[in-house]
Amino acid sequence: MVGLATSIALFPLLVSNPYYLNVANIIGLNAIIVVGLTLLIGYAGQVSLGHAAFYGLGAYISAVLTVSHGFNPWLALILAALITSLIAVIIGIPTLKLQGHYLVMATLGFNLIANIIIVQWDSVTGGPSGFPGIPPLKIGSLSFDSDGKMYFLIWSVLFVVVLLALNLANSRVGRGLKALHAGESAANCVGIPTSAYKVKMFVFSAVLASLAGSLYAHYLSFVSPKTFDIFFSVELVTMVIVGGMGSIWGGLFGTGFLTSLPNILHYVDEYKDIFYGLILVLILIFVPEGLLVSASSRLRSKRNPGENHGRGYDAPTQRPENCLSCNCVPHYPFECLDLDIMLREPILRVHNVSRGFGGVLAVSEVSFDIPEGSITALIGPNGAGKTTIINVISGVNRSHHGHILFAKRRIDCLRPYEIARMGLTRTFQNVQVFDNMTVLENVMVGMHPKTNSEFLISMMRPPSFTKEEKEIRDRSMESLIFLNLEQSANSPARELSFGDQKRLEIARAIVSDPRLVLLDEPVAGLNMTESFEIADLILAMRSRGMSVLLVEHDINVVMRISDKVVVLNYGTKIADGTPQEVQNDRDVLNAYLGGVL
Amino acid sequence: MVDHLPQFIIAGLTTGSIYALIALGFCIIHNSTGIVNFTQVDFVSLGGLMMYTLLLGLGLPLILAFILAVMAVTATGALVERLAIRPARSRAVIILIFITIGTSILMRGVFKVLWGKNQMGLPHFSGEDPITLLGATLLPQNLWIFLITFLAVGSLQFFFGRTRMGKAMRAVSFNRRAAALMGINVNLIVLLSFALSGALGAVAGIIIVPITTLSYEIGVMLGLKGFAAAVLGGYGNSLGAVLGGLTLGVLESLGAGLISSAYKDVIAFGILLLVLFVKPNGLLGYGDSERL
Repeated sequence: MVGLATSIALFPLLVSNPYYLNVANIIGLNAIIVVGLTLLIGYAGQVSLGHAAFYGLGAYISAVLTVSHGFNPWLALILAALITSLIAVIIGIPTLKLQGHYLVMATLGFNLIANIIIVQWDSVTGGPSGFPGIPPLKIGSLSFDSDGKMYFLIWSVLFVVVLLALNLANSRVGRGLKALHAGESAANCVGIPTSAYKVKMFVFSAVLASLAGSLYAHYLSFVSPKTFDIFFSVELVTMVIVGGMGSIWGGLFGTGFLTSLPNILHYVDEYKDIFYGLILVLILIFVPEGLLVSASSRLRSKRNPGENHGRGYDAPTQRPENCLSCNCVPHYPFECLDLDIMLREPILRVHNVSRGFGGVLAVSEVSFDIPEGSITALIGPNGAGKTTIINVISGVNRSHHGHILFAKRRIDCLRPYEIARMGLTRTFQNVQVFDNMTVLENVMVGMHPKTNSEFLISMMRPPSFTKEEKEIRDRSMESLIFLNLEQSANSPARELSFGDQKRLEIARAIVSDPRLVLLDEPVAGLNMTESFEIADLILAMRSRGMSVLLVEHDINVVMRISDKVVVLNYGTKIADGTPQEVQNDRDVLNAYLGGVL
Repeated sequence: MVDHLPQFIIAGLTTGSIYALIALGFCIIHNSTGIVNFTQVDFVSLGGLMMYTLLLGLGLPLILAFILAVMAVTATGALVERLAIRPARSRAVIILIFITIGTSILMRGVFKVLWGKNQMGLPHFSGEDPITLLGATLLPQNLWIFLITFLAVGSLQFFFGRTRMGKAMRAVSFNRRAAALMGINVNLIVLLSFALSGALGAVAGIIIVPITTLSYEIGVMLGLKGFAAAVLGGYGNSLGAVLGGLTLGVLESLGAGLISSAYKDVIAFGILLLVLFVKPNGLLGYGDSERL
């Protein structure tokens, strides 16, 4: 690392040819944009083909303010960044609601529009022929008017940007972005304000592009619209991908490679595009994980074969004494259930909730309470509306009618992440682990509602950040130990077995010490031993003070551990009471056994 | 201005037909693979360029040149799938999309070497004597464009609705794995979808070039508009592609005629963005809802 830094610092002294310095400067400028795009695309998973427009905005605002209005270049640079961030907010809020190809098209459309405006508005921008005579940046008597001086400025800025980006990537926010990439709804339910994160990341990357644009304008003293067209946007994203999408270093490598490639291919003049396209296609076909990522993982696996999880948390091998989970098959006699629980104050009240999809009413006027500190089960045949109830409580679907009180506050108008912040978490019927992260990181995401470091703090890393990060790590490790997953802490979550992924979801849901956990079919698809282990865990969760709403088909588990059972059929509640009461209820027997008895 | 309204609409429907054909090509490949195939734009250019060579270079009769040009681009489409998409080690959508972008750069590089950078032209199919209809002046080429687009869309409808192969392609678009398990050769379907998109792109290029000019990158802007049209209609929906194409063409033409020709694309894309903000899955699209 130090070697790399010194060689970058000494580069202008070793190279006298200004042509190479110029290429190095352009690489530096592109890299500033690509770092932001790597975070936006590789981490947050939002592809933008509009960043050349932000680059152009920075360049043109700086040019117009300094030349036409006599602003100080530094002030112009800051104003350009501010104006660009404002535009990015206005564009980003509606645009980032779109997904996939629609997002690509919308950002592309924005870039086209911005470019046409630059070309056509020639009274201000100089039109298609460009805008000349932009003054260089100055500090006191030092004027950045040569390739060499600009080299130091651009690369110093890049250095700071990379540092901030690396900090952000390895932080609470970075994990939140990756989670939202892996599954937006799931991330939202875990407590990540997904829309706000997408917009913030978009704005940050736009500001970096604007900064690079301003530097570009003052460096070349001339800007023309061609530099900022959609093809440059495409090229920028290509740089992110070719180096390795999920890594900042990969993006930097891709930038260096693709920016210098046309200069190398200069010698085959006429065939330049053919070679450029061919090299690009070959890399993407054969090294889709990215050049740098591929090279580094190959190097690492050579160094220590059989272990490629990188550095991570050292899993403690000794289990703590007070661990509540054990591996024996337990028995739960009805007698030991605490019947007083039924009389306690409810932690959650579902009142008259209805929810339809299209013309079908999935849930109709359902009401029930979950007593604080209880395990309440929600059962019913397939299609009875159980998952819909969970989705409505957790805010994934809005109820069309009725209301929901959690800890005496209405939550039916809140979004999933706000509900998670109040201490209500959930797991999913179709397992939703974040498969782009390690097991430990998955659980760390679960600490999101309980922690506070946002974008700026994560980038600056004050002592409070380090302290919080340590707490997140420790608590997450405890949660993994609680679920018997500590051995896999540093493995990629996608490599876990189905049963372990289900446990991981529970670990993630309980790490923030929520007051109520919604478990959507936690034992479906598991064998008997595994089911009993989970049942054991649910009991342990209750003794830790959590209330549980359990949706489950496995009647054995439900009847053994629940304090209260609510039965749904065809979207309406047909029974509600202790396990014994429900088991003897005529309507329940009819629903389950079709009235044969 | 308003007197020219029929004229603007005719012009809009003409370019709109082209966008619709290109959008259909985007949709077919999206449905079989889930990706955006950016070589679609070069299929359009190549159609025009092949027509130029066959018709003016080799002096073949119009119909023969038309058929051979379409066949050549169809084969190119299949080749793109075979050489660039199938060998790809990653099935990630974004990687595949950027493979098509790389291939597009490569193809344009080849076109530039083979046909040069100059502007070229093609003769109209059947003369340039204008016809007056409902207060608008039409060229015979406009009629050819409407007719051929209509035939192309009609035969696609028939293909997807009535033929075994067409139904297999629809099955793959709904569920690739299930289709494979039902004995459908998914690789063949993907190959076919590239060939079919090649044919559609070629047709679009061949019929529009006589009223525009021809160059090695003529398809780029047309292709992007075709992509926009597909998104506007609801990506992957073929009826939406046609509707999106015609809407975009008319909007652009009205924008150019009634407001400002310099800002016509700003108007067209601005409206596209507004539509997406209100209907995030396009005019006729339904979103994929995540199942939790």
